[in-house]
Amino acid sequence: MFWPRIFQSLHASVPELYTDELLGLNEQTRPYGVALTEQEIAMIMVARDQVLQSYGRVELGIDVTKEMVEQFASSAYVEQESYAETLMALHEIFYNLKNETEDRINDYQLIHMMKSLYEEECAGSIDLLQSRLEAYAEQCRVEAMTNDNDLEGDDAAWHLKR
Amino acid sequence: MASEEMNEYRGWIAERKVRRSRLTRHQYTIGLLQEGRHAGLLTSEETMRIQQGLMLILQELILRYTQGESTSVTTETAEDIMLSVLYATDAYLFGLGQPEQAIDCLKRMSIRDIYTQGVETVSQCFADTKQLYEDVSQTMVQVPIDAYRLTIDESLPVFLRKYGMIFHAHNTMASIDYPLAQDDMKLQGVFYMKQYLERLQLENTFCNQFDLQAILELLSHYGRMCRFDYRMELFNLFQLILNQSVFSTLCGGAPTELRISVAQYERLARRLASLSEDEIRTAITSALTIIQQELKLDHQLIPYMDGCKEELVQRVKHAAEYNSLDHVIVMERQSAASSRVISFDKADVMSSAQLRRLLDQIHSCASTEEKVKLMLQKVHSIHDYLDLLESNCLYGDEYEALFRAFGEMELAILAKVVFYEELRNESLVSFISAGSEEDRSEWQRHFVRFLRDKDQDALRSMDRCVNELDYEQLSFN
Repeated sequence: MFWPRIFQSLHASVPELYTDELLGLNEQTRPYGVALTEQEIAMIMVARDQVLQSYGRVELGIDVTKEMVEQFASSAYVEQESYAETLMALHEIFYNLKNETEDRINDYQLIHMMKSLYEEECAGSIDLLQSRLEAYAEQCRVEAMTNDNDLEGDDAAWHLKR
Repeated sequence: MASEEMNEYRGWIAERKVRRSRLTRHQYTIGLLQEGRHAGLLTSEETMRIQQGLMLILQELILRYTQGESTSVTTETAEDIMLSVLYATDAYLFGLGQPEQAIDCLKRMSIRDIYTQGVETVSQCFADTKQLYEDVSQTMVQVPIDAYRLTIDESLPVFLRKYGMIFHAHNTMASIDYPLAQDDMKLQGVFYMKQYLERLQLENTFCNQFDLQAILELLSHYGRMCRFDYRMELFNLFQLILNQSVFSTLCGGAPTELRISVAQYERLARRLASLSEDEIRTAITSALTIIQQELKLDHQLIPYMDGCKEELVQRVKHAAEYNSLDHVIVMERQSAASSRVISFDKADVMSSAQLRRLLDQIHSCASTEEKVKLMLQKVHSIHDYLDLLESNCLYGDEYEALFRAFGEMELAILAKVVFYEELRNESLVSFISAGSEEDRSEWQRHFVRFLRDKDQDALRSMDRCVNELDYEQLSFN
């Protein structure tokens, strides 16, 4: 099947459009002291595509990237020097979490949760954020497994639950 | 010079044609894009426009799929949705007939419109399939063949309930076990299911021309011939009846007559053994013509029947060569079990709770004798014995103590059920003396050892019991 290649080529076919959209967000983020250059945007897009490929995901559009920019630009822990690198690391955490939670959390909830943990518990540490979210993903998996098991079981248990 | 070369190149392009051999029903749109480019009927810009159009449809569907919750999905999900999109475009484009016409359509229409039309085609096919299912359900032959009944009563309704024509149009999400006489596995999704039902309906129509009692008798004789429980096996009823009808016609009987006596069989076997392959083909062709004329069959059924001819010719030729026509022609076999009537009452089967309680009681018994006594007292069905034995509630010598408490018939029933596969090909005596204990559960190993310790006369007597038992008598309902 050649679809993964086509999915990739689709991103490659509209980089200008994505760049313009992300450059447009600088207006909103400058008051917080951060902005992305064209070169940084290109780096972020390459890193995002690599992350998507390595986690076996497909994303048509850059809604997630835009939401991350909008949310994290206002963080007290984000600085201009490490802004692009932070965004790249956040993409990796985000798509890993989407897989690990088997898409049980919606994009916006997940980004908001990441922002909130990053600001509060993790005090701007990406490593800490990653480990907190891995623990969260583990908890999600256990809950999902418990729910699945509850649907099985013997006849008596089934009738009781109903 | 450059202009001449360009004209020559254009002429060469114009001469290239769509290679029909490279186009398959499956992934027809992709094939058309590739062949359209190859034949110069589609430009690279047009191909790119079509691909991007497909991607936009995919993008929208991903959002619909995640109900707006996520803009990304796993590659597998994206591929699955894309295959579903292509299934719809294939449906429309394939319906246009000629590939050149379909390529022209790809040039002129937007891929979104083609997709919308395709979804409409799939939807219509799904509606037709539902109607066909009603017809098949009504013409179902009342025979106790599990695969046939479960496919019609359970698997097909699951498909009709769960089929998703937007996200999973290409999936054939049903466990269709019952084999057709002629199946075309190249199709997928609802188109496969429609074709399956059309063919099943043809088969039902044919089978319903025969007396049900005669069909049931044929099945019994067939089960004895193959030494299996026909209710549990995967075979095609239509083919069995058709073949038997052919043989009956070759015996000089009526096409609707399915009974072939031993004497008739012997005459027919002698005749077939003396014929060459061509003569066998001629004889079978004539018999099929007689059947088709006398039964006044539907015009669609005739080519379907003819499609089964060559396989029958080869089977008969092969069997005649190896003197094994008695494995192809089903003759009336007296039920050896006439002297034995085994009765199983459904009411004797324990509920899960009763079984669990009994297991607890068995575990708390102090002695082997107590355990055996309790089991003999409480258990009255082969089902429950099998469940208890599989639950490993006995240890070591306790198995032997239980088997010793069984009578010859109980042991024969247990052997017939447990060694189902082995006893199809050999006798109990030879299986037990040569059979390996490997790959068996603990209780089965003890059972094999117990039988092996019996003397040859006792085993031979038990073997006779095994042969006298009909699987039809051993109900597993």
